[in-house]
Amino acid sequence: MAWKTINRQESVVDADAPSALSEAVREKIRSFFPRYETKRAVLLPALWIVQNTNGHVSHQAMVEIADLLEIHPSDVLDTLSFYTHFWTHPKGKKVVTVCRSLSCELMGGADVLAEVKKQLGIDEHGTSADGQYSLVTEECLACCDHAPCMIINEKTHKHLRPADVAGILADESNDRLAIPRSDLFDAPLGAVEGSGESASVDRVIGSTSDVDEMRDAD
Amino acid sequence: MTAACNGRLKLMPKIIIDNKEVECREGASVLEAALAGGWNVPHYCFHPGLKVVASCRLCLMEMKMPHPKTQELDWAPKLVPSCQTHVREGMEVRFDSDPVKKNVENCMEFFLLNHPLDCPVCDQAGECHLQDYSFEFGRAESRMVDEKWKNPKKDIGPKTLLYQDRCVLCSRCIRFTEEISGTHELTLVNRGSKLEIDVFPGFPLDNPLQGNVVDVCPVGCLLDKDFLFKKRVWSLESTPSVCAGCATGCSIRVDHAERVVHRLKPRYNPKVNDWWMCDEGRFGYKYVHDDKRVTTPTVRRGLEDSTPEWADLPGIIRYRLEENVQANGSEKVAAVLSPFMGCEEAWLLGKFIRDAAPDATLVIGPIPRSGEDQTFPIGATGDDIRFTISQEKCPNRRGIEMVLEAAGGKTLDFEAFVASATAGAFSAAWVVGGYPAEWLDKKLAVKMAAKIELLIVQDIFENPLMGGAAVVLPACAWVEREGSFVNKAGLIQTFERAISPPEGVPQDGAFFFALAGFEGLYTGERVREQMAGKIPAFADAYEAPLKPVHAH
Ligand code: SF4
Ligand code: SF4
Ligand code: FES
Ligand code: FES
Repeated sequence: MAWKTINRQESVVDADAPSALSEAVREKIRSFFPRYETKRAVLLPALWIVQNTNGHVSHQAMVEIADLLEIHPSDVLDTLSFYTHFWTHPKGKKVVTVCRSLSCELMGGADVLAEVKKQLGIDEHGTSADGQYSLVTEECLACCDHAPCMIINEKTHKHLRPADVAGILADESNDRLAIPRSDLFDAPLGAVEGSGESASVDRVIGSTSDVDEMRDAD
Repeated sequence: MTAACNGRLKLMPKIIIDNKEVECREGASVLEAALAGGWNVPHYCFHPGLKVVASCRLCLMEMKMPHPKTQELDWAPKLVPSCQTHVREGMEVRFDSDPVKKNVENCMEFFLLNHPLDCPVCDQAGECHLQDYSFEFGRAESRMVDEKWKNPKKDIGPKTLLYQDRCVLCSRCIRFTEEISGTHELTLVNRGSKLEIDVFPGFPLDNPLQGNVVDVCPVGCLLDKDFLFKKRVWSLESTPSVCAGCATGCSIRVDHAERVVHRLKPRYNPKVNDWWMCDEGRFGYKYVHDDKRVTTPTVRRGLEDSTPEWADLPGIIRYRLEENVQANGSEKVAAVLSPFMGCEEAWLLGKFIRDAAPDATLVIGPIPRSGEDQTFPIGATGDDIRFTISQEKCPNRRGIEMVLEAAGGKTLDFEAFVASATAGAFSAAWVVGGYPAEWLDKKLAVKMAAKIELLIVQDIFENPLMGGAAVVLPACAWVEREGSFVNKAGLIQTFERAISPPEGVPQDGAFFFALAGFEGLYTGERVREQMAGKIPAFADAYEAPLKPVHAH
């Protein structure tokens, strides 16, 4: 493909666009600074905060994060692109994650993926025109014994055949877990203490948890 | 075979590689020890000037370790990276075993999995370590039955192209921008099999040292736009030289063919530039092939111009200088020695002038300067500085000063010379230029020329003194001459002649040599021997090692 050239010198950020990070988000990111020796170390929390607030981390947001953490924008892109969980553009209501790893591949995963793409009319990291679905592929979803499989938001769909895809995508509740959650899932402490009263999730995770703070940033 | 690694430390651990004892530099890695000892150990990610990441897995070796049960030394079942393992007295390793060879073969197969069959159109062909290693350690056919991934190239900066599908992901280029230039433009994006080198769009690779990323890239992924498709590397000849761009004095290699310079490359020099050079120096040689260069000598008597034979010139100049000295006295003579001249040339011209006019004034030409010294990595101070581009944009101020000092007598700086020359202090002067850019104030030059009866002007390009000159001589660019420069730290470094000067022009040194009355062939070394009588330092000019201590 040496005959094609992508121009990387050109900026993809609109210089006149309003800031991608609100002052509240910036403040939230800054509040993580005292925890670490370097500002660079706040990169992952910063990405989470921005994705949780904006739904995705745009190139403009990356440049602004870099500015805030005093690192080069390329360092932000490096970390962000390492994780498939970060989105650089808006994603749909439901995210379809098709497995692209060995067991699924052997059991016909590629055909399932092709069918999903056909049904939704999108490619990987694309979002359907109605904003309902976005599509990604992932390495092993840890369901090899039920290969090939895919996940829609939280729900895993197993033993897939291309012919199943249309039906699954049409199903309203295709993204909800089939089994109702056990009470213990939401209140494990309650069980431990035997008080019968559910303890708040905060107490379980602990109030100093990053996860906790990041959720608060939403 | 006992091979000594370079290094001055007294502690020299001995290790055993493939049953042979090797003496090593303390603190070296096994890979360095093996390379210095003559082993051809394949490696991509290791570069002696950059941090070790041990990611390419090409350099793996077998090593003896204590058996966990018996504590007896035995070959460990796992291969370990030789680039990341330091030598230790008595250590035993091997590269000639089947597991090691198999590893290299397998690695090469993976490196080539998606690699296009690009060599016929790739600039790196001929100096590519994918070619070399797959020829030496790989297999001839690909077993890949699936379609190869195709990946377009990226325009990542004003001087560099990135051919993504040729990359072996050694990360040398990234480490260069992190550790040496400190500019961080390059990075790895994505993960696993989708890993790529990239810049953040709109933040291109653009720093004063960017050319080096092309040098560190072991394959044809990062290529120099300036050199792209200009020449096949196997038709280039290389001559060791010193950059004339600034007072840092980086060791370089001049790559040329058919009397044309095609590129400059840095040459390893532990005292000056390590493995690097700046873009200003790298791309700054273009003036050498400018067609506006002065290429013929002109002699004027009254209003008459003539073009003498080069062989007659020393006689003509000698005669006219003597005539002038007799009429006006020897203290009315001056010579301006340019900081672009080699020490030998300056010394020879100074000697000729002082022989003809013992009271002559010797002048050092103007020193071009620009801003401040630029240090890298950006923001580093003190010992953390890895590279400096000097604000003094000429290679040999120190050398000219040494020559002037040794010559004694009356010396002036250029400003003072201009002041006295325009006041009519000199009736004869020899002015050498050789600056790649304009260097004279036109008004002052014309005024000066009008006051000097016998003005000999020697320059690469036309300059405003030439209108009033009695003799105009072409000068050669440094790649056309041999001699030595003294850098800002006082290091005397020699450079060789890479290409011949424009048609018929003798190199400056050879001309001065004849003029100063020496017989035979001019070589820098012969003149330095003469100079050493007065300036002992010249007995021992520094030459950077011709071969770098690392393989590539
Ligand atoms: S571009 Fe060259 S130097 Fe950079 S990672 Fe790829 S092969 Fe290595
Ligand atoms: S730093 Fe100076 S000597 Fe070194 S390459 Fe650049 S211009 Fe040439
Ligand atoms: S390979 Fe698909 S779930 Fe493991
Ligand atoms: S792993 Fe040692 S050179 Fe790459």
